[in-house]
Amino acid sequence: MWKKFIHWIDVRIGLEELVNKHLRQFKTPKGATFWSTLGFVALIAFIVQAVTGIMLLLYYIPHPEHAFKSVQTITNEIPYGWLFRLIHNVGGNIIVAVIIIHMVHVFLRVSYKKPREITWVSGTLMFLLVLLSCITGQLLPWHQTGFWQTTVTSTIPSFLPVIGEGISSYMRGGESVTGITLSRFFSFHVVILPVFIVGLMLIHVLLIRRQGLSTSPAIEPETEVASPEEFRREPHLDGQPCFPHFSLKRSFMVMVYFTVLFFILTFFPNLFLPPDANIQADPLTTPESIRPAWYFLAPYQIIKTIPNDVLGISLVVIFSIVLLLWPFFDAKDAGRNIRKRPMLLSLGLIVLALWVIFTIWGMYS
Amino acid sequence: MMRYLIIPAVVLVTVVSTGLSLASYRETFEKEFMLSPWAIAKGEISACIQCHTSDSMDSRMQQLVQEWRGSWHAKNNVSCHDCHGGAVEDASMSMSHQRGFKGSPESKEIPEFCGTCHIAIKDNYLDSGHGKTFLDTGEGPSCVTCHGSHDIQQASMDIIGEQLCSQCHSYERAKEMKQALFLVESKLNTISQNLKRLKVLGIATERQEKAYFRNHAGFRTLFHSIDVDAVRAKSSDYTQSLEAIEGEISESFKQLAFRRNFSAYLFLVFIGLSIVVFLLSKSYGQKNS
Repeated sequence: MWKKFIHWIDVRIGLEELVNKHLRQFKTPKGATFWSTLGFVALIAFIVQAVTGIMLLLYYIPHPEHAFKSVQTITNEIPYGWLFRLIHNVGGNIIVAVIIIHMVHVFLRVSYKKPREITWVSGTLMFLLVLLSCITGQLLPWHQTGFWQTTVTSTIPSFLPVIGEGISSYMRGGESVTGITLSRFFSFHVVILPVFIVGLMLIHVLLIRRQGLSTSPAIEPETEVASPEEFRREPHLDGQPCFPHFSLKRSFMVMVYFTVLFFILTFFPNLFLPPDANIQADPLTTPESIRPAWYFLAPYQIIKTIPNDVLGISLVVIFSIVLLLWPFFDAKDAGRNIRKRPMLLSLGLIVLALWVIFTIWGMYS
Repeated sequence: MMRYLIIPAVVLVTVVSTGLSLASYRETFEKEFMLSPWAIAKGEISACIQCHTSDSMDSRMQQLVQEWRGSWHAKNNVSCHDCHGGAVEDASMSMSHQRGFKGSPESKEIPEFCGTCHIAIKDNYLDSGHGKTFLDTGEGPSCVTCHGSHDIQQASMDIIGEQLCSQCHSYERAKEMKQALFLVESKLNTISQNLKRLKVLGIATERQEKAYFRNHAGFRTLFHSIDVDAVRAKSSDYTQSLEAIEGEISESFKQLAFRRNFSAYLFLVFIGLSIVVFLLSKSYGQKNS
């Protein structure tokens, strides 16, 4: 029965050929480890966000008078609504963590160098858009935490000279966070940003398929030409087939992702929902402490620490631009083995350490 | 090739930007949103507070604002003008009697002053021994004797104490009242704490909170009659009503336990799957090598 069904499909879409060409014959390099699958995990995490988001969308009402109540209804009255809401809430945080670890891995392998500059730029752009999705998503439940986080977040761009006020006003749709902000953030969260993210994702995946996975400079130092002058796809002839070897690695990491997700749901379901997230937004009552989400604590603390607001925001903007265009800043003729590049390794570790320090500082300040 | 990608991207960005820009100028839409109570953060825009915290006021007057800020009234957004009247957003007219300014009440006016909001409590109080003594002699306990004026805290059984009650009479009868209140009051406290816990855990408690508030207010109103027999007689009604709320709270806790168990089940399923897939991956790796 099953064979007949597969044959029926195969006759129509050439499934066997598709699997052979794109999975069995697609070789992954010898150095492809579990860490190399994090991009795929991020893709699955994004799909989880999309599916749970669509489920929430069935009951959510994007209006200040109904938004909070509708989220309460989803959590407490719709069968298993709490599950979709918590997965969406926790999943939104895990996806950021997965992308950060993925980027650190790519940086340490120096995989962004020629010919993979566009892959890095599209990935970083995707990361920035995911962060924007998080910013816009936190306002939608219209609770105290989200409302006041948005008030703070939408104030930060106003520190920028000339264009700052315009950006703030554009984000809020006025001088303060109102129903217009909610409508605007809703449109961005459910349509505009996902469209751009999916577009970039297609480019990112297409480039990886065309160029092949990058090798590990420590394991296969000689397989790649340092600076190729024409397009060539690394065949990785002595590597493993994508299916089933690398696919199993991917599947394992996806299982780990779900394990972490349900671990948080079981033992810390309110990890990303502080008590104020259960109170309807009230512009007349400011919570005792307003703190952004963990992934914004570092830039928030930098802006708070530096006495000059313009300097603080400028540093964050410059860092984002350098991160986005990093492949073009890195030395052209230098090799890919980071162990032989102590300056680059030190720079990466210092930036990472500073980010962790500012995050912890922001958490307790 | 790039041309085909850039053109749609530019068109998309232009359409989105134009749409958003035009949205800013939809005046009617904007006004409707902006004028709503959730639209603008007003904070503490109050002529009373601005003036009473200024240096032109003596320290006692400034102290009143500090006391109010720490009060149960402040926590529930009951501001100066809600009791004292006046134009809160207009400093020049803030103390105009034409704008409803009442000022501070005389001692004998206090029950009416507080009774503007606490209507049922006022009626019970005026019918009680406390109220009658106060009306007849102008002395005796009024609202502020037990609750204070600006630093009013959430009322509890702790107010009934030997130190306060024995200023006017022996503590024996007050002690009897405290004992009569005990069962219902402790139920009220337990429910209040459980509702707060549920709320923090993300459970919608609005309906139970309203039922709790009705019972709480009714029982506190009854207490002000200072009639121990009436309190005892009605206690069983309140107990029954509060037990119904406790039943709903218990259901909510069961629902939370179900959520935890369901998540734990999925957690274990994925741990199992992780182990299976990991072993499969290892075995394929070995075959390959």
